[in-house]
Formats: sequence, structure tokens, C-alpha cells
Amino acid sequence: MKMEEMSLSGLDNSKLEAIAQEIYADLVEDSCLGFCFEVHRAVKCGYFFLDDTDPDSMKDFEIVDQPGLDIFGQVFNQWKSKECVCPNCSRSIAASRFAPHLEKCLGMGRNSSRIANRRIANSNNMNKSESDQEDNDDINDNDWSYGSEKKAKKRKSDKNPNSPRRSKSLKHKNGELSNSDPFKYNNSTGISYETLGPEELRSLLTTQCGVISEHTKKMCTRSLRCPQHTDEQRRTVRIYFLGPSAVLPEVESSLDNDSFDMTDSQALISRLQWDGSSDLSPSDSGSSKTSENQGWGLGTNSSESRKTKKKKSHLSLVGTASSLGSNKKKKPKPPAPPTPSIYDDIN
Amino acid sequence: LVVSKMNKDAQMTAAINQKLIETGERECLKELPRAKLTECGWKGQLKSHCKEVIKEKGLEHVTVDDLVAEITPKGRGLVPDSVKKELLQRIRTFLAQHASL
Repeated sequence: MKMEEMSLSGLDNSKLEAIAQEIYADLVEDSCLGFCFEVHRAVKCGYFFLDDTDPDSMKDFEIVDQPGLDIFGQVFNQWKSKECVCPNCSRSIAASRFAPHLEKCLGMGRNSSRIANRRIANSNNMNKSESDQEDNDDINDNDWSYGSEKKAKKRKSDKNPNSPRRSKSLKHKNGELSNSDPFKYNNSTGISYETLGPEELRSLLTTQCGVISEHTKKMCTRSLRCPQHTDEQRRTVRIYFLGPSAVLPEVESSLDNDSFDMTDSQALISRLQWDGSSDLSPSDSGSSKTSENQGWGLGTNSSESRKTKKKKSHLSLVGTASSLGSNKKKKPKPPAPPTPSIYDDIN
Repeated sequence: LVVSKMNKDAQMTAAINQKLIETGERECLKELPRAKLTECGWKGQLKSHCKEVIKEKGLEHVTVDDLVAEITPKGRGLVPDSVKKELLQRIRTFLAQHASL
């Protein structure tokens, strides 16, 4: 239905104004009504009074405006001055210094002193500076690999024996205890003998001096010919630990066959054969990996080879054969039989 | 039939209203107070007034009519001048635009 057309221009302003006012009033009334409906619905649905709070709660959550406190009433810097008790050394340590302290205290951190200790022991053991450097690099890079406790080592036993780093570190060490037995080489092995198992002791004694120092009660980690201790002392230590049948590795070259334990030798022989086979195949070319890896702390042979930095596989074999009695391998499997394949030409 | 002036005015108003709706201007005009009134606190004032009324009448027994009767006059009076002026301005503009219906 079409509306009758009206012209507004004919109307005077007052009329227009009146109309405008009317429209305005309509709009306001609409808003009011809308508001009323909302309120009524809120009342009937029960949520009208929800935004009110009781005075008690209001007091609890009032904004705090005191110096030294934030608006919730908490003290700033509260935990800085707190002290924690270290579970290891039972000392009371400041909270902000607790983490680094724990790292040093447990010796499990990156730059902990254990690594430093190992380094010292290493440099005592080895008479080569280069290997120390190599060693240090490796140590610094491997947080957990070498110097950790035995427990940790077991956890980390999935460390790849073929990894270049391992063979690299093993390469420069002369078949000494540390190289050949990275698992065993924790700081305490070479130092305090209480924590060592019999196997470890034996292998340790085949490569290190081992004489127990009176003041520190720790075993000397220097070489088998260390000038600080006499052969007599070394012999005494070995007899003390390994029983009367134990002999010094150095003395072994010709006498070995007479003096080894029967049971041990059999185990050794079987091990040797296994080792020997793996030894022979890749190392005929003369790579030094296998000899070191097996950690046969050879007496005279090893000292020679140590000096020359070259290990011939045949030498090591001979050495192993000859020093059956004293050289007991800790692990039946050498850590890196496959490595020679990688490092065949590096010698 | 004699068309009385009143009738004419009424018709005029009706026509204008229709125009408002048709162009959608009415909706636009409705939006304006909704936003403005909340912003200026008109709604807050009215709400506290509502609370009084409800407490007076009792929560259970409040009806829409009660509320409307109590609230609307107060609401009309509480509209701030600025909002009123703005609204009127827009209406006048609209009328001027559509002078020739």
C-alpha cells in the first residue's frame, strides 16, 4: 500500500522540531523498556544479584598499599634470603646459590670439580700433554659420559662404542686404564680404593702404580714405574688386594706363565681368544686401537709402546699372552672392537 | 472528508517513522543510545534504582509492569544532555535529508 506522499518542506521548523522530539522520546523509551526486560529476566532467572559481594570478602581482597608490599600484600624478594639445606653436605645454602652449589657438591655438573680431578689424574697417568688436551676436550663435551659414577655409567651404557669421539680419546692413550675402561674411569677409581670392585682393582693395578698413600689413603694413579714408589710397595699393594698370587705387571714378561691363577687364566684365555680374533682382523695393519681398547696394561712392552706412541697389534697380543696372570680385563668385551675399522689408517 | 490538522500531523509522523524504518535509520539510531547510555553510567544508575525497587517489592513478586512503571520515568529523566543532543541532531539530519518524501 503506497503511502500518501507528504512534503516536509512545507512544514515549519517548529513542526520539524516537534517531530524530532517525538522520535527522540520514542528511542529513549525503547531503551528503557529494553533495560527493564533485561532486569526482569535477571531477577526471575536468579542472576540479578550475582555481582554483589559481601563486605567480608571485600575486605579480604582489598588492594594493599603499603611500602615494601605489592598490591596483593606479598613481600618482594622474599625467596632471596631463604636458605636451603643441601642434601649432600648438609650445609645451609642461600636459595639463589643453591643450584650451582649442588652442581659442585654432587659433582654432576658441567664444570664440576670432578672433571677437574679427572683431568689431574689423567695428566698424572699419561705422560703426554696432547692426550691431555684431547682428553679435556672430550671431557668438557661429555657431561656424563666418562667421569661419572658407575651407576650413571650403567644408565648411559647405550653410548655408542663406535662413536668417533670415543675412539679418538682412546687413540692417544696408551692402553692405560683410563682409555680402555672409560666406564671405570671415574675420579674415585684411581684414587680411593674402597669403592672399587675386585675386577676393577685388578685392572687398575695392572696399569697404575696403585700404592696407597699414607695421608690420603688413596691409590697412586701414576704409571707403573712412578718414581715416588718402589716396586716393593707396588708388590705389597698387589698382594694385599689380589692375594699372594698377585704379581706386578712389570715382572711378568718371562714369569707369567708360572704365576697366574688357574681360574683366572682360563677366563682370560677365553677372553683373549675372543679379543685376539677381533684384534687380528682389522689391526694387522698395525693400528693401535685394539691394543689400547683392550687395556692390557703391559709391563715392559707397554711402557715401550707408550713411549713410542705406537702400538702394534702383535705386540699387544704378545703382551697379553705373556701377562695373563696379572692382566685381568674388567669387561669381557672390549669397548671398541669395531673401532679399528674406522681408524685403521690413523696411526 | 475534512482532514484535520492533527490527523495530518499524525499521518506525517507515521510517514516519517515508516521512512526511518525503511532506510534502516531507526536501527542506527537505536544503537547510539545503547552504547552511549552504558558508557555514561546511565545504565548503572538505573540498575541501582532497580535494585531498590526489587528489594522493596520483593524478589519473587516483581513483574515487568512494576519495573516499567517505576523505571521508565526515571530513566527518561536521567539521560544526560550530551546524549540527548546528539540523538536529536541525528534525527534532524535525517529529516533534512528526506525532506521530500
